[in-house]
Amino acid sequence: MRYLFLGPLAMTVVLFQVAAAPYFPLMGATANPLLALLMCWAMVRGPREAMILIPLTAVFKDLITNDPVGVSVLAMLPIVPLAAVRERHPTQSEFVPTVAVVAVASLCYHLVYMVVLTSLGEDVPWLQSPVEVLLPAALLDAVLTPLFYLPLLLVTTVTESRARLRVTG
Amino acid sequence: MRTLVWVLAAAFLALITILLSQKGALDPLRNVALTVVSPLERGVRNVAEPVADALDRIAERQDLEEENRQLRRQIEELRSQIADLSEQQALSEGLQELLEVQEGRPDDQFLVARVIAKDPSNLKERIAIDRGSDDGVAEGMVVMSAANSLVGVVSSALNDFAWVTLITDPNSSVNAMVMESRTQGVVSGTLHNGLRMELLPQDTEVEPGSTVATSGLGGNFPDALLIGEVVSVQGSPQDIFQKAEVQPAADLARLENVLVLISFQPARLDHTP
Repeated sequence: MRYLFLGPLAMTVVLFQVAAAPYFPLMGATANPLLALLMCWAMVRGPREAMILIPLTAVFKDLITNDPVGVSVLAMLPIVPLAAVRERHPTQSEFVPTVAVVAVASLCYHLVYMVVLTSLGEDVPWLQSPVEVLLPAALLDAVLTPLFYLPLLLVTTVTESRARLRVTG
Repeated sequence: MRTLVWVLAAAFLALITILLSQKGALDPLRNVALTVVSPLERGVRNVAEPVADALDRIAERQDLEEENRQLRRQIEELRSQIADLSEQQALSEGLQELLEVQEGRPDDQFLVARVIAKDPSNLKERIAIDRGSDDGVAEGMVVMSAANSLVGVVSSALNDFAWVTLITDPNSSVNAMVMESRTQGVVSGTLHNGLRMELLPQDTEVEPGSTVATSGLGGNFPDALLIGEVVSVQGSPQDIFQKAEVQPAADLARLENVLVLISFQPARLDHTP
């Protein structure tokens, strides 16, 4: 049931990423709100739901862009192990680690993406990319984290406390 | 363990879909997806573009006054240059091509297309247009701006849509010529809307402000198609070649409509022996 509500939300983020994000570059880099959303999702709600949402949203994104279908799935795979590692080492502060993990996921995303493009025979500017793509994109995606983290945390907290009330009541 | 199995399975399926995608097996699915999504994308773009413009204006307001002064000076200089050019037109055949670039290409046939999407990745410079193979668009066709300057090349054509690789894409390279000095080189894309002209012989003079157009060599582009203007020239006397930074003539970040040149058959499309 939750996917009926949250799935379309993720699709809307894909649409925003494809249609609007290129108009708001920072230091030449374009944000990847889908990656930030899915990473926050995996951190707040656990990697299990992300395992379903990553293939769905990433394939949808690839279908409406010029990327080979599947490249975004590969590039977003590190989200799940990153969230799983985080689950095993819980700390008191949740937000700061999430921001850091989003930045790491962004770096992983672009590295995997560049490897796939290179293997498909496309020219990828490896030398320019650390300064012009990887770092600005990681920074930009990290800046987006609160936009997704806080609403997800709120929704999750509310739904979980309602579920707990139902059980105890 | 479950995570590892999922990662491996997802990676395996992703690799299969990438291969299918490269073979074009998923093109009908892409066409359907773009057909469904393009009106929504257009709606989001129509909202995002004015917001981005407004933010740009706020950010650039401090530079506007200085830019305005510079532009006024440039207008004066350009008016004076136009007067000079008018006189030289009759005498100089070399300048004729440059003028033709600016006057447009009345003999060519174009297909007007609307830009419906931009590639959101940080590593590619590509746009989607609302014309595809059903409209006569084919891979390799040349795409121009409404002001007749080079925009890019059709890199994949679906039934109703096509993806255009912009000249600023790192995969793009165009045989080009500096019109004033007739120096030939290759214009390649760099990241973030940049162009670089390479293989310029050291013994030729290339000045900032020079006009760069296609040379027609190789037959992939028509000749004398405006690309942009030289912004700066780099290279020490020890180098074999000079490099020049080129500012694209078309505003590639804000394209709304483009022209697909259907009357010109690029060499890569010509399969006749």
